[in-house]
Amino acid sequence: MSKHRITLTVNGEVHRLTVKSNELLLNVLRDRLHLTGAKYGCGIAECGACTVLKGDESVMSCLVPAVAADGWELTTAEGLVTADGELNVVQEEFLEKSAVQCGFCTPGMVVASTALLRENPDPTEDEVRDYLRGNFCRCTGYHAIVEAVLAAAVDAQNGGRL
Amino acid sequence: MNTRFLEKEYDYVKPATLDEALDILAEKENVKVLAGGTDLIVKLKTDALEDMDIMMDINSIDELCGCCINADGDLVIGATAKISHLEKNDDIKAAYPALSEAMHAMASVSVRNMATMGGNFMNASPVADTAGPAMCYGAQVCLKSKKGERTIDATEFFLKPGVTAAEDDELLTGFVIPKPADNTGAAFVKIGRVKSDIAKVSITAVMEREGDTVKSCRLAMGSVAPKPLFLADIGAGLEGQKMTEELIMKTADQIRDFVKPIGDHGTTAEYRKEMSGLIARDCLMEAWKRSGGELA
Amino acid sequence: MYLNHLKPENAPHGEEYCTSMIGKNTHRWDGPAKVSGTMEYPSDVYVPGMLYGAVLYSPYAHANIVSVDTSEAEAMGAVCLTYEDVPKTVYNERSVSTPAGTYRDRIILPNKARHVGEPLMAVAAPTEELAYKALHALKVEYEVLPAVYDPEEAMKDGAPQLYDKIFLDEEEITVKNNVGVVRNIYEGDVEEGLRQADRVFEDDYSVGRIYQAQLEPKAAVVKPEVDGSLTVWGTCQSIHACRQLLGFLFQKPLSKINVKKMPFGGGFGSSIHVNTVIPICAALAVKSGKPVKICNTREGDFYSHNKYPTKFHVRLGVTNDGVITAGEVKALVDFGAHQIQPLPYMGCTAGWFASLYKYCGNITFEGTAVYTNKTPCCAMQGYGNPQVNFAIESMIDEICNEMGFDPIEFRLKNIRTIGDEFWAQGPTVRSIIKSSGTEEGLIEGAKKFDFANRGKFEDKTGKIRRGSGVARGFHASGTGGPKPGEVIDYSFATVKINEDGSVDVLTPVTDHGGGTWDAIRKIVAEVLQVPLDLVGLSPADTMNTGYDVCTHATRGTYCGGGAARNAALRLREKLFVMAGEMMDEKPDDLEVVMDPKQHQGCVQVKGYPEKRMTINEIARNAWIWSRGTLVHSESYRQKNAPPCFTVHFVEVEVNMETGVITLPRVLIYGDCGTPINPDLVKGQLVGAFNRGLGYTMYEWLPTDEETGALLNKGLFVDYKTPTAYEMPKVDNLQVELCKCYEPSGPFGAKGIGEAALASVQSAISNAIYNAIGIRFHEIPITPERVLEALKEKEAQA
Repeated sequence: MSKHRITLTVNGEVHRLTVKSNELLLNVLRDRLHLTGAKYGCGIAECGACTVLKGDESVMSCLVPAVAADGWELTTAEGLVTADGELNVVQEEFLEKSAVQCGFCTPGMVVASTALLRENPDPTEDEVRDYLRGNFCRCTGYHAIVEAVLAAAVDAQNGGRL
Repeated sequence: MNTRFLEKEYDYVKPATLDEALDILAEKENVKVLAGGTDLIVKLKTDALEDMDIMMDINSIDELCGCCINADGDLVIGATAKISHLEKNDDIKAAYPALSEAMHAMASVSVRNMATMGGNFMNASPVADTAGPAMCYGAQVCLKSKKGERTIDATEFFLKPGVTAAEDDELLTGFVIPKPADNTGAAFVKIGRVKSDIAKVSITAVMEREGDTVKSCRLAMGSVAPKPLFLADIGAGLEGQKMTEELIMKTADQIRDFVKPIGDHGTTAEYRKEMSGLIARDCLMEAWKRSGGELA
Repeated sequence: MYLNHLKPENAPHGEEYCTSMIGKNTHRWDGPAKVSGTMEYPSDVYVPGMLYGAVLYSPYAHANIVSVDTSEAEAMGAVCLTYEDVPKTVYNERSVSTPAGTYRDRIILPNKARHVGEPLMAVAAPTEELAYKALHALKVEYEVLPAVYDPEEAMKDGAPQLYDKIFLDEEEITVKNNVGVVRNIYEGDVEEGLRQADRVFEDDYSVGRIYQAQLEPKAAVVKPEVDGSLTVWGTCQSIHACRQLLGFLFQKPLSKINVKKMPFGGGFGSSIHVNTVIPICAALAVKSGKPVKICNTREGDFYSHNKYPTKFHVRLGVTNDGVITAGEVKALVDFGAHQIQPLPYMGCTAGWFASLYKYCGNITFEGTAVYTNKTPCCAMQGYGNPQVNFAIESMIDEICNEMGFDPIEFRLKNIRTIGDEFWAQGPTVRSIIKSSGTEEGLIEGAKKFDFANRGKFEDKTGKIRRGSGVARGFHASGTGGPKPGEVIDYSFATVKINEDGSVDVLTPVTDHGGGTWDAIRKIVAEVLQVPLDLVGLSPADTMNTGYDVCTHATRGTYCGGGAARNAALRLREKLFVMAGEMMDEKPDDLEVVMDPKQHQGCVQVKGYPEKRMTINEIARNAWIWSRGTLVHSESYRQKNAPPCFTVHFVEVEVNMETGVITLPRVLIYGDCGTPINPDLVKGQLVGAFNRGLGYTMYEWLPTDEETGALLNKGLFVDYKTPTAYEMPKVDNLQVELCKCYEPSGPFGAKGIGEAALASVQSAISNAIYNAIGIRFHEIPITPERVLEALKEKEAQA
C-alpha cells in the first residue's frame, strides 16, 4: 500500500501530512487534525454528517481518499468561526431559530447551508429544501433549519459574514 | 464492511497526463479509476469490489476536466467534469435540458460536487440517471487506450449490471453529444422514494418536431432492466406520426407493456411497470411541449 | 474589586437575559459548541493510549458456536474477547423497571447467535484498521440452526426455540413456544360493555419494524483506572443505569465505576437501556488493561435495536348516542431475540390504550410478546403509544364515518381529561389528570384548520384527491405516581451559589438534544432570580450526582426539572438564612428579585426593596468571612406523571396515478403545560412529525427470510427517511402550544417529547381515508400499497 505526501489547507492552516493510499479525508480531519466538526454518520455519503467545504462547494468527506484531496482548501464547521469566536450568519441563525437539537448533523448542515448561500445568495424555500436533501437530521424535522437558512440569507445580504 | 475507514488496501497513482494514465492501464492489472469516487469508494466500503490493486486518480489530467461546445456545435464533456458543474452549465441547460434535469435529480448536491458523468457510466448501474439522456441525445462515449481511440454509441455502452463495453485497458475520456436539431424537445422524469434517491423508475424522451408530426423520437428508461434501457423501436415507431394525446397514451401503454422490471427493496415489479407507462406519458407530453408542439 | 465583576457590560446577552426567561425563547446553552462542531460526543472521545475495539456480528440468524480460534488474531497483537472471557451473568440492559418486572436473557457475548448481527466476539488493537484485520482473522465454526422470523410461526409447536430458560428477577423461567411474556389486564366487564353497545367495531391493525436512526452510531470508551475502577464515556440516556449494569456484570462496587454524562447524537429510545457496545467495551478494557473505544458502524447500529412492531386486534362498542361502552385490544409483539422489556412495553401499551378514552370502565388488554430470530426491539419515542394510537385513533375515525358522528365531538365526549384517571406507565402507575390541552387542540384546531369543510371522499374527483384527518394523543411526563409502581422514578440535583453570585447546576439528567438542560438551567435561574447567563451547567458523572433513572418517558423537564426546582428552593431557604444574618432580617421576610441594572439576583426585604443585597455581595461576603458555600443537593421524586397532550390535523393530497402522498397542510397542537422554551417545544413537535411521517409512509425494515439479514443490509441507501424536501413547507406546518398550566410541574411545565409522535400516524392515515375512502390497517402506507389498494377498491366496485 502506497504512502503519499499531501498538503491540505484546512480552516486556513496549511498541513503537510503523509497519508496511506486508503486513508479517508474524514478520518484525517478527525483523527489527525483533531477536528470534530465532520462526523461519521453512515460512511457512504447518505447522511451528510461529514460535509465539509472544498473551496466554496460542499463535499462528503467520508468518500474522499485523503490523498486525492492533495492541494485542496477545506473548511469545516470550526473554520466558519472567526479567530475571536464570531459565528457566521448561518451558525448565528441556527441558534436564533432553535435549529439545533442533538447537534450531530449540525456542523454538516451548517457547512452545506453556507455553501448554498455562497452559491445562491437569495434562495427560495424550495431551493433550500432541495439543496439540503442529502443532509439528514433525525431531530428537528428540518423546519427550523430551513427558517434559519432563509434568515441567514437575509443577514448575509445585509452584510453579515457567510 | 462499511467501517469508518477503508479496509481495502491498494496503491494510489495520480498520472499527470493522459498518456501516463493509458500506460498504467496497459501495464498494470486490476486498476480502477477514481474520478469522483462516489460509486468507487462506496463499492470499496461495501465489499462490492474485490479486484482492485491500484486506484488511479485521473483528476490531474487537464484535458479530462472540461466541458465545452466544440467547433461542430456538439457538446463535449470530460470524464472528470463534476455533475454539479454540468447541471448548472448554461449551454447544457439550454440545449440539453433532459441531461441537466437528470443530473439535478441525482443524489444530493455534496455528492454531485464530487460525482462525474464518466463515473456514472463506468459504474453501469441499471438506475444510472445520466444514461438515459445520453442515449437519447445520441452521445458518443470516448474511449482511449494505448492501442488507440474509439467512440461507442451510448446505446451500446452498457452490457449488463456493472459491465460496460470498455476494455480493461481503456479509459473513458469523455462524451461527445451532438447538437440537437432545432425544434427538439426533451424531458427527464424520475420517481424515487425520496428526492435524494436512486430511481424507482426513470425515463428520458428527446423528440424532434416537424410541424405537428414527430420527426424523430428517442426514448430510454432507467431501473426497468438489467441495464439502462434504450427503447429504440418504440421511439422510432413515432417517427412521421402526427402527435396527438392519443398517440402519447398509446405509446405510454406500449412502454408499460414492453418493460419487464423486477422488484427489489426500492419498489415492486408491478409498481415499476405501472409507473413506466405513467412517466412515459408525462415525459412525452413535456418533451413535445418543449419542442414547441401543441397537442391536437 | 476581586470577585465583584458581575456587571451588565460583562454579560454576554446584556439586559436581555436579566428578566424571567420561563416561556421565552433563549439560545441553547450548548448551541455555540454544536454549530461550530466543537461539541464532544462519545464518538469524539479520545483517551491517550486507547485501543480500538471491533465487534464480530453473527452472520447467522440462529447458530451455535462450535469452536473458536483466536490465535491468528492474537498473533497480530489484538486482544480477543469471546464467550470464554466474559462474565456469564445473565442480564437485561434496561433497568428502568423494578427487578421483579425484568426478564433477563442475555450475556455480554453468548455462545449461541440468536439473530443476524448479534455480537459474538470482539477484538481490540492499537488502531481501528488492525482491529478489523484481527476481526477477520477470527476463525469461528458455527452449527447453523433453523430460524424463525414470524411471531405466529414462532409460537407453533415444533418451531425453532430461541431459549429454554430465562430469568424473571431471580426466578428461572421455562420458555415455551418462544412466548417471552404474556400480559393480560382486565378492568370492568368488556363483554357486558359490548352488550350495551349498539354497534361493535372489530378490526386488525399492524405497525411495522423501524429503526431509531439516531444520527450518531452508538459509541463507548472505557478506561480501566489503576485502582481497578472503570471510567466510561458512552451513548447513554442514563448514566446511573449504565453504572449499575457494569457493576453487576463485573462484580464491582458502584463506587468503582464512573460514567460520564455526555451529549450524544440522538436517542429516540435507542439508549434507554445500556447499549450492547458498552459492556463489550468494558470487558475489552478489563481484559486488556487499557482504555478501549468502540464506535458502532452504521450496520452494527441497525442490528443493535429496532422499534417494536406490533399487531393489534381491536374491539370497541359504541352506542347510537356516541358513547364508547367497552374497549378490547389484543396485541402480538414480535420483539426479536432478546427482551429489552416487552413486559413493560405491553403494560404501557395497555395504559396508552386505556387512557385514550373512558370506555365506560370496561377495558381488556391481552398481550403476547414472542421471541423471533431478529434484532431485539427497544423503546423508540412512545413505547407502544404511537403503535396503539394508530389502531385506536384509526378505529375512532371509522366509527365516526360509519355512524355519522362528528370526530371532534365524539372524541370530546369520550376522552379522559381533567379529573379522570390516567395510566402513566401501565396499570400500576396511575394518577389523576390535572391539566388538559386536548379540548383546546380539538376545538380551536378544528376551527383554525377549517376541518368541518373537509368534505367526503365520495364527492372527491380528479387525479389529486385532498383529504383531512384528525387524531389525538398524549404521553406521560415521567413515570411517577402517588405510590411507587413497577417503574423506578426519581431524580437528583445540586444547586450551588458561587463566590461571585453566579450559580452552578449539577444534574445527572441527560439531554437527547430536546433542550432538557436548558429547561433545568432556566428553572433554577427563575427560582433564584439569577440572570440565566450566570447559571452554568456542571459536568456530571455518576460519582458526583445522585441517581436519576433515565431521560426517558418524556420526564427530563418534569422530573429532572422538578428535582432542580426543589433543590433551588431549598437553596433559596439557605440563602435567606445567610442573607438574613448579614442584613439583620428574618429569613421569612426576604425575597429574591432580579436586578437588570446590576445584572444580578438580589435578596431584599419584602415590601421594602430599598433594603437589599445582591447575591454577589452575599456570596462574596460568605467567602471573605469563611461562612461556607451555599449549596443544596437533594434527591427528588415527582409523585405524578401528568399527560402532555397533542392533537394533529393533517391534510394530504393523494396522487391517484402514482399513489404518492404529499402534505399540503399540517396543524399541531401541543400541550406541555408551561413551555419553558417555546421554540424547543415546537422543535420537538415538528421533529416528531417528521419521524411520524417516516413511520407512516417511508420507513420499514424487512428481514430476508432466507438469511435472517435485514434486506437493507444495514445501510441508509435502502432506509429512506423524509428529508427537508419531503416535509411540508414552513408556512404550511403550524404549531400551536396549548394554554395550559400543570399544577404539579416546575412552573407549570410538563413534558412533550413522546406525546409529539403519538397521533401523527393515525392523523395521516385518517386524512388518507378522507381523501380516497381507503382505510389502511397497516403502516407504512407506501405509494405501492396505495396503488394496490386503489386497484382493489376499483375491482370491488
